[in-house]
Amino acid sequence: MKNTFIIIILSIILIAAGPLMAARKKQITITGSTTVLPIAQAAAEAFMDINDVNISVRGGGSGVGVAALINKTASIANSSRPMKAKEITQAKSAGVNPVVYAVANDGITIVVNQANSIKDISIKQIKDIYTGKVTNWSQVGGPNMPVVIISRDVASGTFEVFNEKVLSGSKVIDSAMMLASNNAVATTVGDTPGAIGYIGLGYVTDKTKIVTVEGITPSVKTIKSGEYKISRKLYMYTNGKATGDTAKFLNFIFSPAGQKIVEEQGFISVK
Amino acid sequence: MALKINAKWLLAIMLITPVLISALPTKVSGEMWGRWTNAQIKAADGNDKISKNYFSLERGYFGLETTFTENTKARFTVDMYSSDAVDDGAGLKLKYAYVDFARLVPVPELTLTAGLQKVYFGTIYDWNYTIIGKAPTDEYKIVNSADYGVSLNGYIPGGWGEYAVGVYNGEGYKKVGSALSDNTNFAYLANLRVTPVSGVTVGGSFMSNSVKREKALADDEPVAAYEEQMLMDGVIRLNYNIVDVWGEYISKQRKFPNDDTKDYTANGFMIMPIISLKQFVEKDFQLLFRYDSWDESDNPSSTSFYKLNATTIGANYNFFHNASNVPAMQLQLNYTMKKYNEDDSAPAYADGAKDSNQLMLQLKWRFSSTISK
Repeated sequence: MKNTFIIIILSIILIAAGPLMAARKKQITITGSTTVLPIAQAAAEAFMDINDVNISVRGGGSGVGVAALINKTASIANSSRPMKAKEITQAKSAGVNPVVYAVANDGITIVVNQANSIKDISIKQIKDIYTGKVTNWSQVGGPNMPVVIISRDVASGTFEVFNEKVLSGSKVIDSAMMLASNNAVATTVGDTPGAIGYIGLGYVTDKTKIVTVEGITPSVKTIKSGEYKISRKLYMYTNGKATGDTAKFLNFIFSPAGQKIVEEQGFISVK
Repeated sequence: MALKINAKWLLAIMLITPVLISALPTKVSGEMWGRWTNAQIKAADGNDKISKNYFSLERGYFGLETTFTENTKARFTVDMYSSDAVDDGAGLKLKYAYVDFARLVPVPELTLTAGLQKVYFGTIYDWNYTIIGKAPTDEYKIVNSADYGVSLNGYIPGGWGEYAVGVYNGEGYKKVGSALSDNTNFAYLANLRVTPVSGVTVGGSFMSNSVKREKALADDEPVAAYEEQMLMDGVIRLNYNIVDVWGEYISKQRKFPNDDTKDYTANGFMIMPIISLKQFVEKDFQLLFRYDSWDESDNPSSTSFYKLNATTIGANYNFFHNASNVPAMQLQLNYTMKKYNEDDSAPAYADGAKDSNQLMLQLKWRFSSTISK
């Protein structure tokens, strides 16, 4: 019995140990929020141009990024919301000490189709639209056109911030389309005359139109000052204070060149 | 009869699933454990003999988790298992059926859970079977992993830990009907775990429970089998770099107010280091060790007094990870040696307390997918 066990376990170790001798290139793995994704991708490309390091960047959503950090498979977790107490507890319990870096500011922009004449909307009106109390644009000062509600899926960090700052926990109406990315929301709103959606400032396209919220346009000034109500910070989390190449990469993001990339992607610098 | 009951369950699942999926975001998840077991026991003649050698579907779960609103979620899970206790060779049990209400109480990250749910005691509620064996509180029948009740459970702001208080039937998820009418007292639970620094978790659980009625319903006569249980548990987890060590201490005090000759206290502990070799072999490979000591020797009942030492060594090879790198498929190998202090003349021997060596090879797979409109 014992010999059988030893033979089986040694066989598994030998199979698994195959790549043990393989040479490794320095690697940074980044995963998480689709909102932070374009910043991470553009910064990684610029950083790899001047450093001998391989950076792998993936999306998946803030929750996926945080889970990967907890599972010790990501050097950096991108998140469009602060980590929850549950996640911090799980991380610490697993020997992971999450350290946060706020890399950019972002306004969650309310967008409609270019054909929609509405210019301004209140937070209460947005909530009434998303909960089904308002079904026609004429009820909020717009054209006589049915409202088509576009939302992010509930797993996204963007939804969580929208839920907290606009919905206050109320349920999005069942008829809403729940889409998996900012790009999908922007495209659908751009193609649908009565549509309303919410996306990161960096995802606004020519086919969508920004609606001011309570008279405030999402801008560098209004988001940094907090005057624009539906705003947030975008985060990168590491296990402990970043060291080595990960620290170099984060320093690059906070450098003038890195913050320029943040702005080029449509977000707002933290400097 | 069993087949009819199972068919009813399956029919209910089949009917409910499409309704839920079409209306609300629903997470569908499943898990299956296919196992080969080979065991030897020390027989009455002193020789080791093969007592088990078979393949089985040891356990399977199928679950639905529906999001009604961001603050209201419901979970429904059935537990499937191979069993010759039913005519068709497989059984089906309802494992979870509860609703989580977040923000119902104005405390951050606090949830009120109502229904058939986890029992937040010791390690049993987050035991993820990294090793094939059960959590110690499950193995030594201290508490049930799920029970009907209401709990408040949440996380301490800032990530300092977690807590739960709950009221349960106390009989566990397998008991319904007469088992509950024989006991009208609830079980009360409190659990606290704190994580003062990264990699260090300490916690404790307390549960008071009872079995049977103190007095018979018909004539108010004392019931000899009535018992009061005080269950205590301490947990420590140390995680540093590649090493994750779990430790648990358990104490079970049973008092029989109507027959104090049966009173006793049992206790024991477990220590389980898990070593990840991922950073050395570039594959998700783990080595496992577990040592259990359980002392039931004060139990005055005729067949259950024993001391047990159990040692397990094993290995996991995890592959097909999901997006969060949680293993979707896992090959597990465990070798367990159980040593009892009783010899073949002891009553406990006839009750199963036989020294044994057991080898288990298990292929476990799980899936999870959220379906929304």
